[in-house]
Amino acid sequence: MSASAVVSAPRRFQFGPLWLVLPALALLAVFFIFPLGRLFVLGVQDPGTGALTTEHYARLADTPVYWRILGITFRIAFLTAAFCLLLGYPLALWLSKMDSRRQSLMTLLVLLPFWTSYLVKTFAWMILLGNRGVLNSLLTDTGLLERPMRLMYNELGVIIGMVHAMMPLAVLTMLPVMNSIDNRLSLAAGTMGASRSQRFWLIYFPLSAPGVAAAGLLTFITSLGFFIVPAFLGGRGQTMLAQTIITQVQELVNWSFAAVLASLMVAATLVAIWIYNKFFGLSALSGQAPKVDGTPRGSAALRACGQRVLKDLAWLSSPFDRFASQDPSAKGGFSIYALVAVIFLVAPILVVFPLAFTSASSLQFPPPGYSLRWFEQYFSSPVWLAATLRSFGVAFATAFCATVLGGLAALALARSQSRWNGPIFALMLAPMVVPRIVIAVGLFYLMAQIGLVATNTGLVIGHTLLAIPYCFITIGAVLKSYDWRLNQAAETLGAGRLTILRRITLPLLRGGVISAALFAFVTSFDELTVAIFISGGLKTTLPKQMWDDMFLQLNPTLAAVSVVVLLIVTVILLATRKLQK
Amino acid sequence: MTKSLLPVLTRRTLLASGAAALATPMLMRRAHAEQSLVVADPGGPFTEGYRKAFYEPFTAATGIAINSVARDAEPTAQFKSIVDTKSYIWDVCTITLSARLILEEQGLLEPLNLDATKVSDVMPEAVHPNMLGTDVYSTVLAYNTDTITEAPEGWAAFWDFDKLPGRRSLRKNPIDTLEIALMADGVAPKDLYPLDVDRAFRKLDEIKDKIDVWWTGGAQSTQLLESGEVDMIAGWNARFQAAIDGGAPAKIVWNGGLYSIEGWGVPKGNPKADLARQFVAFCGQAEMQAKFTDDLAYGPTNLRAYDHIEADRAAILPTSPKNLELMSLASEPFWKANRAALTERFNGWLLD
Repeated sequence: MSASAVVSAPRRFQFGPLWLVLPALALLAVFFIFPLGRLFVLGVQDPGTGALTTEHYARLADTPVYWRILGITFRIAFLTAAFCLLLGYPLALWLSKMDSRRQSLMTLLVLLPFWTSYLVKTFAWMILLGNRGVLNSLLTDTGLLERPMRLMYNELGVIIGMVHAMMPLAVLTMLPVMNSIDNRLSLAAGTMGASRSQRFWLIYFPLSAPGVAAAGLLTFITSLGFFIVPAFLGGRGQTMLAQTIITQVQELVNWSFAAVLASLMVAATLVAIWIYNKFFGLSALSGQAPKVDGTPRGSAALRACGQRVLKDLAWLSSPFDRFASQDPSAKGGFSIYALVAVIFLVAPILVVFPLAFTSASSLQFPPPGYSLRWFEQYFSSPVWLAATLRSFGVAFATAFCATVLGGLAALALARSQSRWNGPIFALMLAPMVVPRIVIAVGLFYLMAQIGLVATNTGLVIGHTLLAIPYCFITIGAVLKSYDWRLNQAAETLGAGRLTILRRITLPLLRGGVISAALFAFVTSFDELTVAIFISGGLKTTLPKQMWDDMFLQLNPTLAAVSVVVLLIVTVILLATRKLQK
Repeated sequence: MTKSLLPVLTRRTLLASGAAALATPMLMRRAHAEQSLVVADPGGPFTEGYRKAFYEPFTAATGIAINSVARDAEPTAQFKSIVDTKSYIWDVCTITLSARLILEEQGLLEPLNLDATKVSDVMPEAVHPNMLGTDVYSTVLAYNTDTITEAPEGWAAFWDFDKLPGRRSLRKNPIDTLEIALMADGVAPKDLYPLDVDRAFRKLDEIKDKIDVWWTGGAQSTQLLESGEVDMIAGWNARFQAAIDGGAPAKIVWNGGLYSIEGWGVPKGNPKADLARQFVAFCGQAEMQAKFTDDLAYGPTNLRAYDHIEADRAAILPTSPKNLELMSLASEPFWKANRAALTERFNGWLLD
């Protein structure tokens, strides 16, 4: 009796910090849950009569091919996330060791592929990896290979394309966490006799783990929804679930079954998140304050296991310590790796540049001659210019809205101990998990009814929806290492809440907030699916315009547009660099 | 609404070959300016070709302005949303024969009430109560003339790796691919439907592991042929023509080709349906259809159009008499009934 009274009173009280999450929740409720709810209802409805039916789910159960495709989807997403972490961690580490000036310059390079449309990147990989592609020609011409290697139209091609697309996201998620690690801890461990390996595996790595977990989750979940890369770089064995959903909606117009497949995807992802949470203590990611006893519930054994593994890793790598002596030049190998990784990220863009200046009307590589004709075509086309302007406008608005809404939500969850944290956390990530085509179709339905189709507002709302999870996670990850005692200290000195936010919290979180805004900007800038539906062909964004052009004729205007966009974006990035300092 | 259309008007105006020439009649017709149609076409070269063939002549003849927008590659879902929500952002839209069947079944198409005498020269397969086909596209075999020195005569050659070694590519879709397998196995085009699906898969089994690329997008098929990535490929004729026009050493084999039709449909309940019908009927004329063949390697459905097309150009169009007689019409009703099941079976087969 008394126990329940005790629980219920604080519960109302504990909702306190959670009010900050309300704006984001409101947006999600109206433009995400409601339209999706209607779509999911389709999955259990007879399309003719509207009566409840299980026939669509029965069909799913009877058709093994979808379960295999689900398996393939998981495998590809897992491999992508694993390689992103494996290849991205050293790169992020390398970046975090730089002074902030060089770091932001190098981060720019890492970000570059992010600014190139998925479509263009994918086609660039086709040019690089083809049987007669740049790589194979190089290798066979120099006699290193007798016959061309099969680099794409198989799983390898898909993984290369997806890791390339996702690695910047992984690096950018890990970097703010690494930047906030106090290097004196490793130093202190060193003075107490810890070896290099021990300092890394027992001190540094566990401290960077929240960033690694965030990056792994983000890349895994985002990869689940991919369809362009497997369609163009995959072989007959690489079909992903998003492709089958698109087929159902666009070609077969079977929304009931599409809704079933979409539900399957959402359910599978939630299970994955749940498992991840169990094993890696992902709840930490939501920004929850660490538990008093320092152990996530029920995972003390796992934690001990983790400690054991890290100790083993430290022991295993210790023989190599002497290769990396105190001599600073020994960092050479590390830097070479990082440079190779940067080249991997930038290579497709290096292909796009010469193509933009080609004199041919095909995407022949290397170009037979050079000209500026494709730039002329771009700059003399009001269609392209209008689309470019609109994309920038929409992306800026999206970056602002998503950062504010996602940031407030992250702040709320970080301060709250409510039992609603879990569900809210899941909901905030949900737009990332649900395939964009499903969100787009649901949104179109709703927006058509309230007159938001073919408006910039509609585009901003749609894109904000998609960007919120990225902002939420990025800011949540930095908040993880935020020292809340600073707020208390400020409060004791008489600062109000707003003053604390402005003078203490925001400056300390600046790196994360700017990363979040950049993520949101890119998400909107490269977004195609929602644009296809919401633009209605009238409010064309840049990716939509590229898609329209690309679907019918591949010509170098696309490359020229990419180059112009890259240049403009580089300027923006350089400008934010000033802010980030 | 007027405001949101402005950028499109500007776009149309400026894209016109002679902005000045266009500006004068527009001033003269200001009285009709409120009469306009939003027409959704596939974009890119289609917009260019249709503008010359249909949009500008129609505006010149009637004073009704045409604003063209690019539609999605598969507009059926958008079409459905437009009708269901009664937000008629398009008045007319291009659809394929297969889309027509899906849209018709769901009651999403407005009847066109075409005057039979006005479309008497149009291929009968292209005239429907709710769609008027304007162009014919075809799935054909194309090969690289540098690496395949002996011209393949039909689909059987695609299976013949001894005689014609080289890299192959097929579309990652059962549509047309099953027909191709059956023709390679000796089935005559007129006996194709209903497809002997088991036989088709058995035939495909023979070359399953030897197909280097399963392509998914039209632009990709152009690139595969153009870059020499594959030596033989099955796909849409205009995509291959684009590669050939771009200088690729390649040829198209019309023998055993499967053609289908694309044309105009009007969303059900459209308040501008009468204007839309007027536009659609206009597009049936031979002289108009002849004009899009400059930009598009698709065949006019009005065969009288060939009176206005030069012989060189006619030779690469699917409906020129010489090519048409080598090909057959893909059966949309068969695919309408079996597409979902066969797509599943095909996808499963690919993964095995």
